[in-house]
Amino acid sequence: MRTKALILSDIRFQFRYGFYSLYAVFTLLYIGLLFVLPDAWRNDAAAIMIFTDPAAMGLFFMGAIVLFEKNERVLDSIAVSPVGAWEYVLSKLVSIGLISALVALLIGLGAGVIRAPLTFLVSVFLCSCLFSAMGLIVACKIKTLNQFIVATVPLELLTVVPAILWMFWWKADVLVLHPGVSMLMACSGRGAQPLALLSLLAWTALLYFLAVKTVKKMLLSVGGIKL
Amino acid sequence: MITVKDLVFSYTEKPFIETMNFSVRDGEIFGFLGPSGAGKSTLQKLLTGLLPRYGGSVTVDGTEAKRAGKEFYQNIGVDFEFPSLYEKLTGRENLRFFASLYRRHRDIDALLKAIGLHMDADKKVSEYSKGMKSRLNFIKALLHSPKLLFLDEPTNGLDPSNARVMKDMILQEKAEGKTVILTTHNMYDATELCDHVSFIVDGAIAALDTPKALMTKKRAVQLTYTFESPDGGLEERSVPLTQTGGDATLRQLIGDGKLASIHSAEPTLNDVFVEITGRRLQ
Ligand SMILES: Nc1ncnc2c1ncn2[C@@H]1O[C@H](COP(=O)(O)OP(=O)(O)O)[C@@H](O)[C@H]1O
Ligand SMILES: [Mg+2]
Repeated sequence: MRTKALILSDIRFQFRYGFYSLYAVFTLLYIGLLFVLPDAWRNDAAAIMIFTDPAAMGLFFMGAIVLFEKNERVLDSIAVSPVGAWEYVLSKLVSIGLISALVALLIGLGAGVIRAPLTFLVSVFLCSCLFSAMGLIVACKIKTLNQFIVATVPLELLTVVPAILWMFWWKADVLVLHPGVSMLMACSGRGAQPLALLSLLAWTALLYFLAVKTVKKMLLSVGGIKL
Repeated sequence: MITVKDLVFSYTEKPFIETMNFSVRDGEIFGFLGPSGAGKSTLQKLLTGLLPRYGGSVTVDGTEAKRAGKEFYQNIGVDFEFPSLYEKLTGRENLRFFASLYRRHRDIDALLKAIGLHMDADKKVSEYSKGMKSRLNFIKALLHSPKLLFLDEPTNGLDPSNARVMKDMILQEKAEGKTVILTTHNMYDATELCDHVSFIVDGAIAALDTPKALMTKKRAVQLTYTFESPDGGLEERSVPLTQTGGDATLRQLIGDGKLASIHSAEPTLNDVFVEITGRRLQ
């Protein structure tokens, strides 16, 4: 009940802050771009687009989302409410995950590259949760948007670059253990298939737990003592 | 409701709160009165589990504050010193959201009406004035009908009529059996609302009693009376209330029915505060 209320309020919040309209524009742009590309590239290009933007939006926006709550001191009220850190994290991940999945679905359908819709949606959703959890962990520890960007760019590169390398040049199967590679494998439907989804699931679970731990600390620090 | 025993806490290496002891009874309004920087908000944060690194014991509603969990938070309401609201959401949306986090909730419209924000309920909080935010923040703490309320300077920055409304609502909470911890640097609010007041200075309790006892204990209450003097003017005299029997003039005037005026001047809580702590409240 409370978790549902949290998710709905996060969605409303993201709507108010224009995430939905922003991504409506991006979706159209991405679909347009995919049609300019040669047919043979479309599947991989769509996977990379989805992987690096709608699925990764949590890594871009979690800083702003959490900073609003910090600056407006809403976190203080959440810290003295029955909301648990696990719910707080879940709500942030799910609300962003839904936008990611929706945008990815539209791009995928628009470009006509979706073969297994359920696997595709689950993959994008998990990818999004994994990126959001990373963003959330960083967001808990920073005070300004600049610090957030400085801290997330290396994370993004570490995740995305190996995945792109795998896609075009370096097809080692063992790379499925890398979170970024597992994401791109899962989203594109290429590589070690059931394994990619499993690896992605494990990474997402791990980052979720780390995010819960970090949020718990953050909520216990609103009083002014860093733990 | 609250028992604090040998509490020790500091934000830094430097000692701040050292072996503090006090308790708060069920159903009373208990005040923290003290100047800015005395440690009132710090105490509220300690009692609500926001500063888990303390020594000694802080038992609130049967729970050790540093181990406060979900169930504990269902039963307490906190009005922070600063607004804690989503600026992009309307007043009503804020209340709806925070209400949704709790098991119980009161009627949001009734609360908005009681505090006089019903006409502004659908405006974004970013368009609210400072006073409106304070009022919204206040009713937000009442939303889930908590049995223990923490109010950190709730009337700060309000005009007298809105402050009056808020104080009546606080008294109403007490009438319903709620316990209230009220932080303030306003001696009038403390005098009027609190069953017990603690004077807080430099992280320590300098005195703790009922406002009445505090005001009468220290300085003798003075009786001041005026009467027509032989030269035709008005003469004023004062005598400690405890020594009226020895004032022959007063006895004579009362006997002859010639008093022009008479009143007792009790020291204000501020006078007592200065006397006990050597500090001013503001
Ligand atoms: N987060 C914090 N970190 C370090 N010192 C703090 C912090 N919050 C308050 N203080 C200090 O603790 C003292 C008490 O502050 P506070 O409890 O806010 O006082 P009050 O509410 O009585 O005005 C002040 O000296 C203040 O500077
Ligand atoms: Mg304060």
